Amino acid sequence: MRRKGKNGALLLVYTLVIFVLASVLFFSHALQREAALVLKDAPEIIVQRTQAGRYHPIPVAWGAQIGRINGVISVRPRLWGYQYDSVFLANYTLTVPAEHAPPAGSIDVGSGIARMRGASVDDIIAFAGHDGLARSYSIRDVLSGESQLLTSDLILLSEEDYRDFSGLPADQATDLALRVRNPREYATIAEKITKLYPDTRPILRSEILRTYDAVFGWRSGLLIVIFSAAALAFVIFAWDKATGLSAEERKEIGILKAVGWETSDILLMKFWEGTVVSLTAFLVGIILAYAHVFWTSSPLFAPVLKGWSTLYPAFRLTPFLDFGQISALFFLTVVPYTVTTIVPSWRAAIIDPDTVMR
Amino acid sequence: MGMTGLMKVRRSTLYLAMTAGLALTLALLLLHASHAVRAAQPGFTRKAALVRQVELTDLCLFTEASYTRHPSQTDMSTPFQDSPLSLDHFPSGALLGPPDHLTGNQRD
Amino acid sequence: MISARDISKVFNAGRPSEFTALNGVSLDLRLHETTVLKGPSGSGKTTLLALMGCMSRPSTGRIFLKDREITSLPERFLTEVRRSTFGFVFQQFNLIKGISALENVMAPAYPTGEKFSLLRARALASLEMFNLGKRADAKVEWLSGGEAQRVAIARALINNPAVIIADEPTAHLDTRLAHEFIGIMAQLKARGTTIILASHDPIVYDSDLADRVVEMRDGQVIGAGNRA
Repeated sequence: MRRKGKNGALLLVYTLVIFVLASVLFFSHALQREAALVLKDAPEIIVQRTQAGRYHPIPVAWGAQIGRINGVISVRPRLWGYQYDSVFLANYTLTVPAEHAPPAGSIDVGSGIARMRGASVDDIIAFAGHDGLARSYSIRDVLSGESQLLTSDLILLSEEDYRDFSGLPADQATDLALRVRNPREYATIAEKITKLYPDTRPILRSEILRTYDAVFGWRSGLLIVIFSAAALAFVIFAWDKATGLSAEERKEIGILKAVGWETSDILLMKFWEGTVVSLTAFLVGIILAYAHVFWTSSPLFAPVLKGWSTLYPAFRLTPFLDFGQISALFFLTVVPYTVTTIVPSWRAAIIDPDTVMR
Repeated sequence: MGMTGLMKVRRSTLYLAMTAGLALTLALLLLHASHAVRAAQPGFTRKAALVRQVELTDLCLFTEASYTRHPSQTDMSTPFQDSPLSLDHFPSGALLGPPDHLTGNQRD
Repeated sequence: MISARDISKVFNAGRPSEFTALNGVSLDLRLHETTVLKGPSGSGKTTLLALMGCMSRPSTGRIFLKDREITSLPERFLTEVRRSTFGFVFQQFNLIKGISALENVMAPAYPTGEKFSLLRARALASLEMFNLGKRADAKVEWLSGGEAQRVAIARALINNPAVIIADEPTAHLDTRLAHEFIGIMAQLKARGTTIILASHDPIVYDSDLADRVVEMRDGQVIGAGNRA
């Protein structure tokens, strides 16, 4: 009875630690997999122009030369940029799609924008363009909520509307999108492009995908903080156990030895004690993490992920699970904890039982 | 939960039952997960089609800064537009590290 | 027969706090008899009990249990002998807190691997014999002094030991409970159990229970008389 409180607290903290860790792991892994599946048809090579190390619009004419490189099937100038909405304090991404662009005067908006502004099909939205003059557009379509991880902040519009709005001259584009015949030739083609135009930066599809492999990777500052905190909490509790048993626990072991328990019997009992706590904590933590990330869109991460943005996608992620991660979590928590429960008990268990007589 | 571990029938069976219940729940969740993944496939096909149609290059995770909105397209100088010494003033920059192709990290 | 041959027990040997609890003690105790070790505190009674009960080993000398030497047995076997042959009633009862009376009674038998339900039934029967059937599930902290005493005795009996060892069993009991204790011991004695008690309580060593009183002082036996 007297130890219920302490063990209860231990269990709670332990479960919490596992919950946080598992949530983070589930979240980033699911995101990674989704990105990989969805971006696999992203443009194969994007050619960006740089000037003094910074991004610069690219002349459309360069596309002709690049198009003649062996292996390049097509070159398409892309037009996209950002628009800050000072009323709603949100950033939008304006894009001219390759296919099915809206007619002039119409736009397709992402579900996040529609949600935020309470707008729907046929509503009119106005923005101030590059020259400060307002332009209004009618909403043709709201992009699906299903695709919000891709389209939440998008505004699709026609090329002429974009150029008119942004002031981008007709002979320039934001960047060039290439379609290539053979994926194995990406690197060679990229090389040829940079030789042709040294101040360009080709971005390959493989690099795009790799970006999302490491999206919440180990270099992420916040991740480091979270994992360190979890590791620290864990170590503190394990240390508490490992630095010896209370006098009462020692007495208990003495009594058991006196009435005929062997050292191995006592260790077995202690082992089960440790396992009870860690196994329960692990299972509960994982289950809660699963529910948190895949059923409720990670609400606990929301304040962190939202930051300053007002357009926040609801992360309804598909439950991709990585068993390697789960197993690693298991072995890194349950095993050390059980071990730290046994070690101090071992030292106490080999004491001669006659101490209990005195 | 008397922690001396002496397993009274009631207590140890209670614990075993609880653990079994939890393990079962986990198993069900895993089952649900694989089912959900299968069910999500058509959605992925649609989204991939959208990516092709609009020629998208990034997920819309953070909208506050250009380099977190389009991390695959950004360059090394954009986050430092104000000053090379400026600290990241967008919280999402703390979450998202620079992509490998900018830092030159080789991976396998 | 339990025999002790010239045993000594020294604690903290070689250190300033070195202390000789027993010095050259030789004693033969007959089985099925009740022996009382009488003497003031510090006379070595507790140490002698512990040595005979296979709880520790003497610094010198040998101990025999039914002609079998136990002093040189490895730890494993010693524990087994202790568990199966002896039942202990401690001065402070030493019941394990946080669990019920029933669980305490069952404790010494866990390592034997006996089937759980059987063990439980036996323990319950034992408690019922002591009129504690209704208190079987009570946590030991809630038991009265007399109830705790009986639980301690029931625990000592769970493995059907041949020998009961009790160290100052009446030290914390009032006269009524002390007599109750003697009564229970008498019943056990009638069943043939060997009983070894250490006590400086006259109620114990003056009672009919004691077949033999061994007087001890300063770690040595100074008188081993049989009572008529």
